[in-house]
Amino acid sequence: MVATPERLGDLWVSRELLRNLVGKELKVRYKGSALGFLWSLITPLLMTAIFTVVFATFLRIELGDGNFATFFLSGYLVWQFFSNSVNSSVGAIVANGPLIRKVYFPREVLPLSLVLSQGVHFLLALVATSPLIIYYRGFHPELVPAVLIGLVLLTAFTAGVSMIFAAANVGFRDLQELTQVLFLGWFYATPIIYALFFVEDNAPQFLPLIRANPMTWFVELFRRMLYGTPAREGLNPPPAWPPLESWLVCGAWAVGALAVGYWLFNRLAVTFAKEV
Amino acid sequence: MAEADDAPAIVVEDLHEIFRIYKERPPGLKERLYRFRRADFTEFHALNGVSLTIRHGESVGLVGHNGSGKSTLLKCMARILPADRGTVTLGGRVATLLELGAGFQPDLSGRENVYLNGSILGLTRREIAASFDSIVDFAGVRDFIDTPVRNYSSGMYVRLGFAIAVHVDPDILLVDEVLSVGDAGFQEKSLARMRSFSERGKTVVLVSHALEAVESLCDRVVVLEHGQVIFDGPTEQALTSYRRRLAGGASEPAAVEAVETDPDGDGRARVADAVLTVPGHDPAGPVPSGAKARLDVDVRAVDDLVGRGGLTVGMVLRRPDLPSAVYETRTSWRVTYVAPPPPGESLRASFEFELNVLTGTYLIDVLLGNAETDVVHDVRRDAAKIVVRAEEHDAGIAPLGVRITLDNPEGVWPPESEPPPMSEGGPRFHPARPRAGHDQRQPQG
Repeated sequence: MVATPERLGDLWVSRELLRNLVGKELKVRYKGSALGFLWSLITPLLMTAIFTVVFATFLRIELGDGNFATFFLSGYLVWQFFSNSVNSSVGAIVANGPLIRKVYFPREVLPLSLVLSQGVHFLLALVATSPLIIYYRGFHPELVPAVLIGLVLLTAFTAGVSMIFAAANVGFRDLQELTQVLFLGWFYATPIIYALFFVEDNAPQFLPLIRANPMTWFVELFRRMLYGTPAREGLNPPPAWPPLESWLVCGAWAVGALAVGYWLFNRLAVTFAKEV
Repeated sequence: MAEADDAPAIVVEDLHEIFRIYKERPPGLKERLYRFRRADFTEFHALNGVSLTIRHGESVGLVGHNGSGKSTLLKCMARILPADRGTVTLGGRVATLLELGAGFQPDLSGRENVYLNGSILGLTRREIAASFDSIVDFAGVRDFIDTPVRNYSSGMYVRLGFAIAVHVDPDILLVDEVLSVGDAGFQEKSLARMRSFSERGKTVVLVSHALEAVESLCDRVVVLEHGQVIFDGPTEQALTSYRRRLAGGASEPAAVEAVETDPDGDGRARVADAVLTVPGHDPAGPVPSGAKARLDVDVRAVDDLVGRGGLTVGMVLRRPDLPSAVYETRTSWRVTYVAPPPPGESLRASFEFELNVLTGTYLIDVLLGNAETDVVHDVRRDAAKIVVRAEEHDAGIAPLGVRITLDNPEGVWPPESEPPPMSEGGPRFHPARPRAGHDQRQPQG
């Protein structure tokens, strides 16, 4: 077993490869599509439109003076980054089998490049939807550093989870199919289409479960910075710097997931060339 | 990164490498949950206690039958495979050439692939930029450098892959069979490049079936058999003993056994090239079902095969998602005696066939063997790939030309026609208003 500092050194040497793979992901995705990057915006906007019609118009979710579309979008963009990253990473090792059998490179660059390219999409989507958010929720340039720190934490957490799924899929090939179902459940267990206070009011027995879900904390963190604080009646307080508790919990999940994911991935990575 | 002269470039100590050969495909989560026992597999010891020390500046050839463990040893040196027991220690920057153009992205341009492939091989952006012009000129693809490599001919593809590979300038170069692809000129070029590399005092480890290449390049040869080093010494001595072993061992049962455990063939003849053409269609894109295709296989004899029962050249058409082949044929099954060419000479076998298959991606494997003994000389897996797009709406493998007639008193309307309303003899459940029909029926039921 190779010691971790040496492995990290390998990864540092391969930063160029990582950068090229991220570039490849972005280029391949936009090659031959005239609308290019707009495509990655259409999904969240369409989802926002559908969920707004269903929940704000049909079901009349009460958000005081808030706006459901921005409320949903502020959570959904976070979820989309996480979900797309893990779902593309899960098959990354198996799909790159021919390369893994022929060339040595730190295997973690495969899931990491997918996570980072999704991170670029997330950033672009944030920039592109910012007019909507600014129009409804006000202009808060002082929160840009907070959003960037949040993005670093979310990326670390996502990278950790992606590495766990990518490595586990080599041994259990049908994990890929299972992931889709798992993520559908995970989506509803995360306060994206609902706010945490709905659970508090209507089904407090579920609250421990929802709070145990790390994505709850990340969605709440970003929602605080992009939307503000949702409330059932009256004023929805505008975007603000998230409380220390949110930072600490998100930070702990980010460090924990990254450490476990990296350790597990590297433990399993040595045999990838034999198994793919 | 110049190492001290007395520090070796590669130290291999008591290396063991064990492969598990599963009787079925690797188990998934589902199978493991409802069958608590472990999947059936047999263990194959590819390397069985190999120890060697290679010093800086040495050029070492690894030879042996297929299945002797030489490629496994190279992959362990390259850190692609982990050591199951023992250690491999490297003293310097390593580059590995196992496959030219590994990791090329068909949708990216040649330029983008040079950077991507270069970084896969361990080059920095600056190094690639510095040798970019030289890479493009070496490959001779300057006019196409901004075209997606999907549109490259297979020759251009290999040349570009090779050009990038030879611009990797490591301390230790590990090469596996790269020399066996391409024409003679290409092979000479790559050999010259490696020779100049070793003349500059770099370390080269070469795995090859082409003993002449090993002879001209290496000053030391390690002979492997059944995962063990059986000879390690000066090239001339090693190759003499290896050739004697090859000549004497060919008829022994042990050699046949080795062939059975070795699906890649014994290398006594090689598939030099296999090209699929579909007249009137771009073989890179989808072709219609039933298109006429032609597979040209160039075979080069490595050893003297005359008087051993003749060659057989086979092709297998398969679809990766199916467990068995779609189609397989061999020249020997058509009662054709193919006299083997003398060593170093080539022959061409052309297969003309019709792609009477339904939509899917099909791969063609080419097989080369002895017509009488079923000894396999070489297998080129995935020699060609073809995407077929059938017009039919049907699913499966083969178009059976099915005609369907329906005898139905309720009436049958062709897909494009609109059935009349019920009052005019139309169906009771009108396809245009399925919900209305459904609602009408409920109170009665």
